[in-house]
Amino acid sequence: MTEARILVPVRESSTLRNTVAYAADRAIEALESHRPAIHFVYPVAQRVRENGLPDEADELLDRVDAWIAEDLGDHAGDVEVETAFVGRNEYLFNPGDYADVLRRYATRNDIDTVLLDPEFNPLGMTPLLPPLEHELERAGFEVEVAPVERPTRRFPIVRRAGLGQFVVLFCWSFGFYLLIGGSLSTFDLATGALSGLIVASLLWRISLSGFANVPRLLARIARMAVYAPFLLWEIAKANLQIAYVVLHPDLPIDPEMVEFDAAVWSELPATVLANSITLTPGTLTVDVSRRHFTVHALTTDTRDDLLGGTLERAVRFVFYGRSAARIASPAERSASAEAADADRTESAEPTDGENE
Amino acid sequence: MTPREIAIAALAVGGVFFAVVAAVGVIRLPDLYTRSHSASKSDTLGAGMALAAVALTFGADISTVKTVLLLLFMFITNPTAAHAITRAAAEEGIEPWTRDDEEVDE
Amino acid sequence: MTFIADVLLLTAAAFVLISLAVVYRLVRGPTMQDRVIAVNVIGSNIVVIIALIAAANDDPSALDIAIVYALLNFLMSIAISKFTVERGGVL
Repeated sequence: MTEARILVPVRESSTLRNTVAYAADRAIEALESHRPAIHFVYPVAQRVRENGLPDEADELLDRVDAWIAEDLGDHAGDVEVETAFVGRNEYLFNPGDYADVLRRYATRNDIDTVLLDPEFNPLGMTPLLPPLEHELERAGFEVEVAPVERPTRRFPIVRRAGLGQFVVLFCWSFGFYLLIGGSLSTFDLATGALSGLIVASLLWRISLSGFANVPRLLARIARMAVYAPFLLWEIAKANLQIAYVVLHPDLPIDPEMVEFDAAVWSELPATVLANSITLTPGTLTVDVSRRHFTVHALTTDTRDDLLGGTLERAVRFVFYGRSAARIASPAERSASAEAADADRTESAEPTDGENE
Repeated sequence: MTPREIAIAALAVGGVFFAVVAAVGVIRLPDLYTRSHSASKSDTLGAGMALAAVALTFGADISTVKTVLLLLFMFITNPTAAHAITRAAAEEGIEPWTRDDEEVDE
Repeated sequence: MTFIADVLLLTAAAFVLISLAVVYRLVRGPTMQDRVIAVNVIGSNIVVIIALIAAANDDPSALDIAIVYALLNFLMSIAISKFTVERGGVL
């Protein structure tokens, strides 16, 4: 065992670049006595099929490869650099899972030091580093968090945007201005246009993502009109239930945190789902990172309702149409994940016997 | 009393009822997660009903539009705010209260 | 109109009392987040109170105040949540 075989788990983060640079420095320092090795591994959070790896994973590892080559400079030939995916055959839910796959990889490759990117956190907002560090140390590894500076902002809020976004945002703010102003006088039109311009030029790269697709938008709005009464009904039920629970002398609550992966795929649906969850029976979204929801449920019943997936289904219906509404509920999905069988996205029926 | 007056009175009473539920919940429930439940749900509905009463009062007018906008805005922001608060709490490592804590707590 | 005005003013009064009750949680805490929740509830109640009074007095301009107040209330919750977390990044 040498001191110079380093494992670096990577994920998209603002400090990844500096972490890679630090790893290179460490390797170069160790050059005198050993042949150092750096392994960059990308933990894949979901089970994936063959070739089904997320593009961003590939891309990220390519980038890391390029960075490390740049940082090692003349020493590139003397340092063994590997990039790999880990955990592609399982779901990674908590720090323990991550520690496990990293430990297994490290043992296989005779690695003794784990270098952590301070912003490495595929779990989103749940703190991952401290427990991960602890677990790895217990497994006998030397763990180090790369001493790099953290910028305060985690991800860029500025995105690519075109004229379409600018115009949409301008019309939107202009319309809102006139609506609030409640008059169509020349003065209001002029100041409104001016304010709309200012807002649009400041925010056009931030507020909207992707290009507006009008027909799809209209379809969504139509389906949203179906969703709204349903949601209102759910909200009414939720409130009567809360009223009962809160006003009951014994306070019959049994709160608990539930975590699940929702089958929604982009920001807006996730937002709508999160807010709907918060508004409906005894459930409150605590954390969302991409698709992973952490939900606080007030009573046992509400927990079961949530995992039954009615709401999730409704949100999918709004955003993706009727066919998407048939995807299995979270409870069924996790059952099938445990059976390590059914494919999550492609089978409507989460029964077993669908080996890949 | 006209039907409109009855509707306004009913909405106002409903609004007050749910606001009371929210307040009782915020005061009575054991930890911030559960309190946030009552704050986000009951208070949103209470405010929503009261604002609906206001919208009915104004009748067909730009003010009604504004009130409806305000209502929608609260329906969107209240859960979001509750979510942000609980998320901040979760990130700080505040543990949710469970049934088991009861004996210890009181 | 007077009946409606009376109802609305009474509702506003009830909301004031409710907000006063929530002040208990604001004072008591115990955590920062509890207080933020309390302030948030009081804030949305105040928005409602402003709207109710606007309707009772038939004074639509007060609605604008209510809208701005609602915005500020939301921003307050978000800002505090964001900055109680060490590194920021909520939302």
